[in-house]
Amino acid sequence: MEVRVGGAEIEKALSKPSPFGIDIDVSKYVVEEPSVEEFKALELEESVRRASTRLGFNGIRPSYIQVDQTALYTLLEKRLRGYGVTVIPLRIALEKTDLARRIAWRLVDPRSDKYTALAYLKGGELGYFIYVPPNVKVDIPIYTCLVLKLERRAQLAHNVVYVDEGSEAHVVTGCAVPHGVREGLHVGITEFYVSKGARLTFSMIHAWSPGVHVRPRTAVYVEEGGEYVGYYITYNPLQSIQMYPVTSLQARAKAYSASVIVGLGSGDYDVGAKIVLEGSGASGEVVSRTLGLDESRITARAEIVGRARDSRGHIECLGLLVSEKSSITAHPQIKSENPGSTLSHEAAIGRISREELEYLMSRGFTEDEAKSIIVRGFMKVDVPGLPEVVRRHVDRIVGTISKLAMG
Amino acid sequence: MSLLSLEAVSVCVDDRIIVRDVSLNINPGELHVIMGPNGAGKSTLLAAIMGLSHVRVCGGRILFNAVDITHFPSYERAKLGISLAHQVTPTFRGVRFLEVAKAISSRFNTDWRTLASLLNVEDLLLRDLFSGFSGGERKRAELYLALLQNPRVALLDEPDSGVDIDTLRVLAELIDYIVFTQGTSVILVTHLGPILEKLPRITRAHIMVEGAIVYSGDPSHVIPVISKHGYTRGLEVFGGEGGWS
Repeated sequence: MEVRVGGAEIEKALSKPSPFGIDIDVSKYVVEEPSVEEFKALELEESVRRASTRLGFNGIRPSYIQVDQTALYTLLEKRLRGYGVTVIPLRIALEKTDLARRIAWRLVDPRSDKYTALAYLKGGELGYFIYVPPNVKVDIPIYTCLVLKLERRAQLAHNVVYVDEGSEAHVVTGCAVPHGVREGLHVGITEFYVSKGARLTFSMIHAWSPGVHVRPRTAVYVEEGGEYVGYYITYNPLQSIQMYPVTSLQARAKAYSASVIVGLGSGDYDVGAKIVLEGSGASGEVVSRTLGLDESRITARAEIVGRARDSRGHIECLGLLVSEKSSITAHPQIKSENPGSTLSHEAAIGRISREELEYLMSRGFTEDEAKSIIVRGFMKVDVPGLPEVVRRHVDRIVGTISKLAMG
Repeated sequence: MSLLSLEAVSVCVDDRIIVRDVSLNINPGELHVIMGPNGAGKSTLLAAIMGLSHVRVCGGRILFNAVDITHFPSYERAKLGISLAHQVTPTFRGVRFLEVAKAISSRFNTDWRTLASLLNVEDLLLRDLFSGFSGGERKRAELYLALLQNPRVALLDEPDSGVDIDTLRVLAELIDYIVFTQGTSVILVTHLGPILEKLPRITRAHIMVEGAIVYSGDPSHVIPVISKHGYTRGLEVFGGEGGWS
């Protein structure tokens, strides 16, 4: 998709609500003038450091940091440079590279809703641009970090990732606020291009606060024989989040999407993923684990559309309701447009049963330990192909989640 | 001094007495078999020894290593070295078998890999615990978790029901090994079944009827009689012979 519309149409979309999630009055939030700066890791101010610590990014040097509407980028670490990887603010990439100009806003239509329109019109094309050249296997994760630091601000990011033919890369993006930020809006547009035979894993970790609204808008295009793995995890309170990334798979391409959602406070979570099996032999799986705590409301959506022969798709939506004041709704949907497509789904929402607790207590665990084992096991999704360092990172987060469930 | 002693134990479920005045003494490295018809109270007795909350000891006391554990919670009993292979297991939706196995092996400092291989549960470890398991898989998985606690007393509640002949042989060999090589004490609850034929060194056989242990004796004597005549007629055969518990 290419944007060939005038500004007026996009301006009009500024008042267009999303079909899902609660509607937000975006005019309440101030959008700062976008700016781009180079930085040295040591210069990061304390509040940004604290935000990245909440993401478990201790000791990690992100290649790109965006604080509110300021893009901070650094020289790539030596090993990433050695692979020929590019990580720069999209705004710079749009000035310097044809590729960025050619592909930006091709997968996400800025007229989709008020959030995409806002990012298009006022975001100043902040966000990161990552390019991985052909036939390299980048075995170290590329870390990026988006921090919302000031009150009542809107942070608008537009990220574009292009993994060239036969390559492999792992991107980890953390989005957070430092403790103390009460209100804010984060809109993140992300477009992933996974070329022929390439492989991309993308892990997104969120650590927001109770007054923050979050609206990621993600689209993924996977060429023939390529593979995309998406892993999303949120485990801190927020006001609302709504996201529904769409992945388009060409022939023999694969996608795996996992969402781990911990509903906290009075937060409204509307999270899911859609995979479209466009090419023959394509396969996709959408997995979600939702944990309902406090007074949170969670909607877990998933859809797989089978349009090609020999394509396969499966959805698994599991919810665990811990608090009686919380609610979880699951909407798994499968749609076949080709007789050669095999699709299936399963959804279940339950609670921690007395029988399960009793069983684990008879194995030597106190009631709290038993609950922790159940929650930890439930929230731990074996995401295929994550690098070990990322896997350890998310395992630590899952450990934190099981403690949260204990209150 | 016995490792596990039941002194005139009665067990209630809600307000009903299910087990009456049962006394048993189990020494280290002994294999006791409790047999009896359906509804005799065998599983309730094991649940009471384990301290499960749906049953209540309403008479007598349970001693482990001379310590009165009658009112200990189940996790304390497990830590002392008592383990139960449940007859009925809950299904853990979304929780991998491996996660639970690792948690238990970490708690009891045991090796989850070796025992998994021995009980042939390796292929099940990445599945949700007990979810969609066949009868035999469920029994093997349950015995695996019970033994992963490296217990001093293992309470095995019908581990042989619904398993195939090959699995039955493995179970019998494993029980024989943990009792007579490792010195673990075992109380095996079973309907009279083929597993007993594969366990040549049973220490003592007990017959439980209507909540009471009505006969205890030498297994080489008890098992063939019950096998041939059933419980009602078998108990008549034993008549006034010695060995009443």
